[in-house]
Amino acid sequence: MGEEDGVNTFADAIRFIGNNTDLLRDKIIEHLELSGAAVGVSILIALPLGIWLGHIHRGYFAAITLANVGRALPSLAVIAIGIALVGLGFVNVLIALVVLAVPIMLTNAYTAVDGVDRDAVEAARGMGMRGRDVLWRIELPLALPLIFAGIRTATVYVIATATLAAIAGGGGLGEIIVSQATYGIAGVVAAALLVTALAFAAEGGFALLQRAVTPRGLRAQRERSEPLVGPAVEATT
Amino acid sequence: MRTRFLQRVLAALMLVALALGAMACGSDDNGGGSGDQPGKGKPPVTIGSKDFTEQFILGQLYKQALESKGYDVTFKQNIGSTEVIDKALTSGKVDMYPEYTGTILSVVAAQARRPTSEQAAYDAAKKFQEGRGFTLLNKSPFYNSDAVGVTKAYAQKNGLKSIADIKKLGGKFTWGAPPESRNRFEGLKGLREVYGLTAMKFKPLQIGLQYKALESGDIQGGDVFTTDGQLSGGKYIVLTDPKRIFGFQNVAPVVKNSLLSKEGPEFGQTLNAVSAKLTLQAIRQMNAAVDIDKKNPAEVASQFLSANGLK
Amino acid sequence: MTTAAIPILAQAQPVIPDFGRGSTCVRENGTFCWGWFKDNWGDVFQPALVQHLWLTAIAVGLGFAIAFVAALIAYRLHWFETPFTLFTGFLYTIPSLALFQLLVPITGLTTTTVEIALVSYTLLIIFRNTLLGLRGVPDDVREAARGMGLTRSQMLWRVELPLALPAIVAGIRVATVTVISLATVAAFIVDQGLGAPIRDALQKNFNTEFIAAGLLAVILALIADALIVGAQRLLTPWARRTA
Repeated sequence: MGEEDGVNTFADAIRFIGNNTDLLRDKIIEHLELSGAAVGVSILIALPLGIWLGHIHRGYFAAITLANVGRALPSLAVIAIGIALVGLGFVNVLIALVVLAVPIMLTNAYTAVDGVDRDAVEAARGMGMRGRDVLWRIELPLALPLIFAGIRTATVYVIATATLAAIAGGGGLGEIIVSQATYGIAGVVAAALLVTALAFAAEGGFALLQRAVTPRGLRAQRERSEPLVGPAVEATT
Repeated sequence: MRTRFLQRVLAALMLVALALGAMACGSDDNGGGSGDQPGKGKPPVTIGSKDFTEQFILGQLYKQALESKGYDVTFKQNIGSTEVIDKALTSGKVDMYPEYTGTILSVVAAQARRPTSEQAAYDAAKKFQEGRGFTLLNKSPFYNSDAVGVTKAYAQKNGLKSIADIKKLGGKFTWGAPPESRNRFEGLKGLREVYGLTAMKFKPLQIGLQYKALESGDIQGGDVFTTDGQLSGGKYIVLTDPKRIFGFQNVAPVVKNSLLSKEGPEFGQTLNAVSAKLTLQAIRQMNAAVDIDKKNPAEVASQFLSANGLK
Repeated sequence: MTTAAIPILAQAQPVIPDFGRGSTCVRENGTFCWGWFKDNWGDVFQPALVQHLWLTAIAVGLGFAIAFVAALIAYRLHWFETPFTLFTGFLYTIPSLALFQLLVPITGLTTTTVEIALVSYTLLIIFRNTLLGLRGVPDDVREAARGMGLTRSQMLWRVELPLALPAIVAGIRVATVTVISLATVAAFIVDQGLGAPIRDALQKNFNTEFIAAGLLAVILALIADALIVGAQRLLTPWARRTA
């Protein structure tokens, strides 16, 4: 009985997608707009700060703490606190998503620039390069893959969390998932399938992009310590 | 000598019987058997509820009333929307839950026909459920239908008493309701077609946000429930619905038929006694206590039952 | 009691008791009403917290059991790594609310559904960290162990795993914190965990409940994180600080 029910629901979900393409297309666009805005704002906040701190090699403890705290923040809890403090709507959801995404991007940017091969930096200094040149010509290109990994992880995370954010009025596919009374079980499963597809598309797209931005020399090295598939989850202590 | 002996034996036996009887009643019930505890020894019951305040209160009312009569009740609160809880009922995950007569017809039975009276709605709903092996116990005096709620100030300023009065305001009046209202007769469709409110604007809102939107002036009319606690405060009023587009939504427990016979007649009687006390005023106050004063639904239900001798 | 009295009594209006006014803070939806929080701690928050801990413990426990064994298998049978990584990576990428709802048609609105989903999110992290930890054991240590005559099994349990412990515990740490976060979403499926008061607060737009439940979840995650770090330092005093 359970198995039959399950298959029926998935069949209904596919039918729902077929019957509601306009609605779903609008929701997907909403979802991507929200995610894109959150990622954009996060990049503007996290990257300059993380890169600069990594460049001057300051703020190690702050970065580690931020990484731990940021990773620990339960997304639904952040959204809930946001509702109480800021209210409902696009802005609140945006703030909550930024709060969740910035730690990931910032620590990755910091670790990336801070961890650039000291020899390379020394060599550049030895050649007479000034600080700013070292940053732009040596550190950033070498740090780019890891910075990019941070953006990638954060983006997929934002897309997933934007689903939850629907409860705070953010719109997107999550709104269908939390409004079962309106759209029925078929609609909920349909939206769940679509948002999963969206997450995979983002993950896959970024993986391809990451290959493109990784200098060939680093690629082999990276592949040994970073996964090809799935998010880069650091084994830090 | 022999009668004396027999008397003593009888006395001893009675003492033993009394002692056994006293032991059989645990610390949390008075007296065993079918005296005032008709529920003892009967099969356990699982009550479910949907996912909003009024349902939590109703579930607690029924649960606690039954428990005080000795029934073994489990309460599964917050199961979900109509679709979800009906599935839980038909698959046996719950044995009963409080449902609205109109909803049974429009959502569960997916009927387009609109009943013309409270009793007609109830009878049709009962007939439908009995066809599936369930039944409806007595309905409550209150009904919880959707309604058009406005601020009292706005109503007075624009002379609004019934929904029909909205027509004169044309496009200046915006009605806020959940997105599914767009296609429902007990919603936008009915307002447009039956009352001719074609110029009225519509704003989709999530449930729970309508009072906030009314207050801020975002909308002029909101899709409210007639039993909302906020309506007992005097700030908001409900416009009358002379053409009855919002239908009748009395509450009645939907119960599995087979369970009903196993639990005995007192089961239905207990539940009916509770339902009989649920007037519009009563349910509104209870909703207000939970939604506005943030009291615990279980406590509110308990206080109500005690005050009315049902617990 | 005469038969005439019964119908009259039956029609009597109910007695509506005074349920008591909420405090001004609560009625005006202040940001945080400490009084209400204190009053409702036992009824609302403590049970939710306990449920949350149980959900987390079961998920991390099961997840560890599965992923750890899988890592041991992958350590011996190299071909196993890629398919398992792909599979668990696939699960990890599915947004939590979506995964819950996709399981519902199959396993229903039960704790089983919740646990299956939560376990899924732990697998990749614990698997990968365990494997990395084992692989990170220096070759000369292995040589030395082999030289001492240890069997492969002895080497694994007495040398390799203890050295891999920091990485393994780091994996458990990330997994635990992740599960604590995702267990809040479980409230959409079963009425359990700290997500339940959050959903309740949504209905009533009740600031205090949002903040109380939200902060409890955050604090729980931070405490769990700190505890596991502490446990790791205790267990492996020889381990260096950075991986």
